[in-house]
Amino acid sequence: MVITTYDGYDLQKTSLTILQVFVLGINFHPQKLVKKTLESFYSLGPQTSARIMAKYTIHPLARLGTLPVKTVTSLTAELSTMTIDNDARRIVQDNIKRLRDMGSYRGRRHAMGLPVRGQQTRNQIVTARKLNVLDRGGGDRIRGT
Amino acid sequence: MAAANCWRCLGRPSTQRLLAPSSIPSFKNPTSVAAFTTSATFLAKDDNQERPIEAPGPGERKAFRKRIQLSNDNALKVSGLSELEAQQLVDPTAVGQMASLPTGLVDQLRTIEAFKPTQNWGLFRSPHMLVRKDTVDFLGDMTKRIANKETVRTVIEGERGVGKSMLGLQTMAAGFMNKMVVINIPEAQDLVEARTDYSYIPRTTPEQFSHPSYILKLLQALRSANEEVLSKEIIKLEHIHLPGNLSRNASLATLANVTKEPEFAWPVFNALWQELLQPGRPPIMFTLDGLSHIMRISDYRSPSFNLIHAHDFALTRLFVEALGGKTHFPNGAAIVGVMTKGNWLKDKSVEKALEQARAAQAELPIPERDAYYSKYDERVFEALKGVEVFDVKSISKLEARSLMEYWAASGVLRMRVDEKTVSERWTLAGNGVLGELERVSLYVSRL
Repeated sequence: MVITTYDGYDLQKTSLTILQVFVLGINFHPQKLVKKTLESFYSLGPQTSARIMAKYTIHPLARLGTLPVKTVTSLTAELSTMTIDNDARRIVQDNIKRLRDMGSYRGRRHAMGLPVRGQQTRNQIVTARKLNVLDRGGGDRIRGT
Repeated sequence: MAAANCWRCLGRPSTQRLLAPSSIPSFKNPTSVAAFTTSATFLAKDDNQERPIEAPGPGERKAFRKRIQLSNDNALKVSGLSELEAQQLVDPTAVGQMASLPTGLVDQLRTIEAFKPTQNWGLFRSPHMLVRKDTVDFLGDMTKRIANKETVRTVIEGERGVGKSMLGLQTMAAGFMNKMVVINIPEAQDLVEARTDYSYIPRTTPEQFSHPSYILKLLQALRSANEEVLSKEIIKLEHIHLPGNLSRNASLATLANVTKEPEFAWPVFNALWQELLQPGRPPIMFTLDGLSHIMRISDYRSPSFNLIHAHDFALTRLFVEALGGKTHFPNGAAIVGVMTKGNWLKDKSVEKALEQARAAQAELPIPERDAYYSKYDERVFEALKGVEVFDVKSISKLEARSLMEYWAASGVLRMRVDEKTVSERWTLAGNGVLGELERVSLYVSRL
């Protein structure tokens, strides 16, 4: 019986040689989609990731392991010029902190984890409980993880 | 609880009911039609035995979906059919004959991915094909013109399931047998759907892009399928910009093999193409399946975040320029684009361009474009300028009979093949649409 299989295994071949890919000092699995990798940085969403990928002619389904080292380096260079991840997170957190330090109503509501813009609090404030906290976006990402 | 007798055994025709088919001479012993089947045992379920279900590994599902099985040891051997010859494909008296594909040719066709996962090769012992009237009409004309070093630019059109891709396969088979250099793009949608990597080709204005991995794979397939022809040709041009050391008298096969790096795939492919365009080379056959897919704006984006038109990719541009008559082929060439109907977005530009091409071919007044539709794509009209449209039609009852006799002899079709049954199936299949004929006849036993 002759069976010709479609060769879709390019990724696995490369992932054997490269075990980790470092983007902006953080290591990622080579099987991870480039899109997902980019969007793992705080403040970097689908629009920006699509634009970055187009800039370096990376197709939407590309995985990290298939990128040439040159492209990974230039991605890192590109990302290092942007306000993303810890920097972006800190901007949001500072804004909330400022509101609280002023003693404004919005600051207080943030501190209490309650809706800020006059919504009812009888029911349905799950989103407010989740988002309106002083360290919004969680703690800093530790470098190298 | 499984039945004691399987339903297929009951459906097996008796010796009296089965007539000896006329077109297959040595098929004399009808009792050889699967006298034994293991389906009953196979279908009997044993509930006590629970096997752990393993999830398929990455890529396995797709590999299974895309697998191409060209032989089946369970099918009966059909003896008495001749091997396909180049002459048979252009001979009007051979219409309605079934012929087996020689092993070497099968390997070549498989290498350039001429066989498709949707075709039912896996039901039979070895690949055979029907020489249709359309085959002879199309290939007869084409072969004659290529012998005169003309360029044949054709779009193969037709209803869904009528055998467009099969005619494409037969064209490639004729190409290999006539010692042409056959290049095939098996699925045009692979080039536009943004599923494979792409890169900017430096120093091109307007900017052009290539598909490095895809072209590398294509190059390797083309080299190994056409090795016999390519290894006889010696390079004529200078290729200093290519990697590796090419000696003065290197063959074209060596040139095609000069790189294993996707980065250099396009320069090498382009160099090979330029070599093939030199006078004194063998004629080129460039086929592409799913033509309508490359007649649109692709899903890829350029660095400036604009969507890239399919014709801005180097490989598709090469094809489109050849099809539109911009490339001059001194040695004769066949540029064949096969349309697909099972899977395409309707496009008014393609439809209108083909309509105009059809009218020009029949020397009728050219139909005007719709004045109220503003989204016509000028590049599509450019690409399909002056092409010939070949309409694949339904098969005749004679052809259907010969095919059904082959199916019966293979043990796939378990019924008496006579004028009445052939006529019945032929009518059921929308007056001989080949894909539908397969559906009404073969899909009962397809696993």
